Amino acid sequence: MSAGATETRACAQPAISDADFERFRDFFYRKTGIYFEDSKRYFVDKRLLERMRATGHDSFRSYFTFMRFQASGEELQRLIDLMTVNETYFFREDYQFRCLVGPVLDEVLERKRPGDPVRIWSIPCSTGEEPYSIAIWLLEHWPPIERVDVEILASDIDTQALARAREGVYGRRSVQRLPKALLTKYFEPLPDGRWRIVRELREAVDFRRVNLSDPADTRPYRRIDVIFCRNLLIYFDDASRRQAAEVFYDALNPGGFVFLGHSESMSRISSLFRVRRFEEAVAYQKPV
Amino acid sequence: MARIMIVDDAATVRMYHRELVEALGHQVVEAENGIEALEKALGATWDLFLVDVNMPKMDGYRLVREMRSGEDLREVPVVMVSTEAKARDKEQAWAAGANHYLVKPVRPEALQAVVRALAGEAGA
Amino acid sequence: MGLVKRQESGQGAPERERRRHGRAPEDLVRQLADPDPAVRRWAARDLAAHPGAADALADALEGERDPAVRQALLDALAAIGGEAVAERLIPLLRSEDAGLRNGVIEVLQGMPEAVAPRMARLLEDEDPDVRIFAVDICRSLPHPDTPRWLAGLLGRERHVNVVGTAIDVLAEIGGPEELPALRAVAERFADEPFVAFSAKVAIRRIEEGRA
Repeated sequence: MSAGATETRACAQPAISDADFERFRDFFYRKTGIYFEDSKRYFVDKRLLERMRATGHDSFRSYFTFMRFQASGEELQRLIDLMTVNETYFFREDYQFRCLVGPVLDEVLERKRPGDPVRIWSIPCSTGEEPYSIAIWLLEHWPPIERVDVEILASDIDTQALARAREGVYGRRSVQRLPKALLTKYFEPLPDGRWRIVRELREAVDFRRVNLSDPADTRPYRRIDVIFCRNLLIYFDDASRRQAAEVFYDALNPGGFVFLGHSESMSRISSLFRVRRFEEAVAYQKPV
Repeated sequence: MARIMIVDDAATVRMYHRELVEALGHQVVEAENGIEALEKALGATWDLFLVDVNMPKMDGYRLVREMRSGEDLREVPVVMVSTEAKARDKEQAWAAGANHYLVKPVRPEALQAVVRALAGEAGA
Repeated sequence: MGLVKRQESGQGAPERERRRHGRAPEDLVRQLADPDPAVRRWAARDLAAHPGAADALADALEGERDPAVRQALLDALAAIGGEAVAERLIPLLRSEDAGLRNGVIEVLQGMPEAVAPRMARLLEDEDPDVRIFAVDICRSLPHPDTPRWLAGLLGRERHVNVVGTAIDVLAEIGGPEELPALRAVAERFADEPFVAFSAKVAIRRIEEGRA
């Protein structure tokens, strides 16, 4: 593109140049571990322009400066939210559940004495799809559950989400990835077309409000074997991420595991855990 | 064609080293620190690692120690590329298990010579 | 079904925790020297709530080898924050332990108010390694003056690796005001291929950015 053409377009509306895109890409990668290939250009530009409009910045440069130096980190958080897809539904990222019932729980059981329960903590559990998915996955795909007790702890900071989780009623969108057989086995159809998770499962999951940055809330969480913390820490600032990792470290048994969301990387969070690559997924392990 | 991991927290250093390594016909994967390098490297086959020393979360020495203590990356040659030129820095690199030590800024010929020696050249 | 609900209380660990909760800071400081890393780590975690313990935490940090305890000490110091903590952390940039240095850099990046008034001195430190670490702090310091500090450094800096690191940071955060310093340093280090390369990247990104 010639310089003249560039200028004409720049006058018409704010735009993101190649150089702007590269700077943003380096910054975003350093902060989150997410790297946008050139093929994502349109997706990224569109969202940047959206936030520039919303914050009243008419150039990328002034928006970028504003976001980088904002002490609260709020704008970066907004942007991360826009750049990542964050939905919750049953069996989301189920490759991690396959990893759980395969090598991860095998290792956990090796270190257990007979009679000790396995503890799994889902945080943030939002409206309950994740902890219920874990419960169903264990009942369906983990034979040792016949002889081993499993406790599923589920927490979130949002009490309204927790109330809905306890209620366990879901629309079609939430359950669309579930095989029909599992839907009829673990849910009851409601007259309005929604589905309610069966009482046995509702009663088996321990839902509680927890603020990850409040030690009084997290202190009771001890001797956990596996933590699912997906799509939360990426929104935290650097210090809060480290602090959350400390909470997980203290909550886990030696050799216990953490699973993060598919776009999250422990490399931007904490150095307390060992990286473990299994065939199905990457998990992070508290040293034995 | 060899597969080479470049681990450095400075974006322009990664770009510079990538150009030099790709000019030899090799394939490059980048990581910003030691943990990301392990996330990307474990379970795959590698011919060479170029590793910076000072990086957030997991520094280069610790990365090499982790590589040497596990199964997957125990044998992969590692070149430490550091801003630090003191004898104690090199000693730390050898102790961690590095195979070669280059002091930044790296001359293009020097880096390419080491890559050729440890990972060969595509088509050669 | 093997799914069971958590037993309400009754377990050992939370009981022990409760006993620890509210322990006097003097006890906790003493426990920073305990032979058991778990005890040291818990002491550090609990001392985060006691600003008066900053010196004790910093003392412990200097000698601590266990990575998990070290991280707890760093995070406790980060939580306390302020001028006194910055004063204690800055000398640790001279440590021979890369892990400790990088942990210190991360904590300092989170304290812009305390670090800003000390940055000029750090960027003029006689040890080029310390100057590089100071530039590394600027990489992620949420402070609007960082580009200006780095441009100032480029004007006088003789050590090629300090220059290279500063250019790398400016490639991300620099604006048109930093262009003269980038052009001048590129000329001054014209025979260093890496400096020429990174300065070209930084200058192009600033020039071609939309103003």
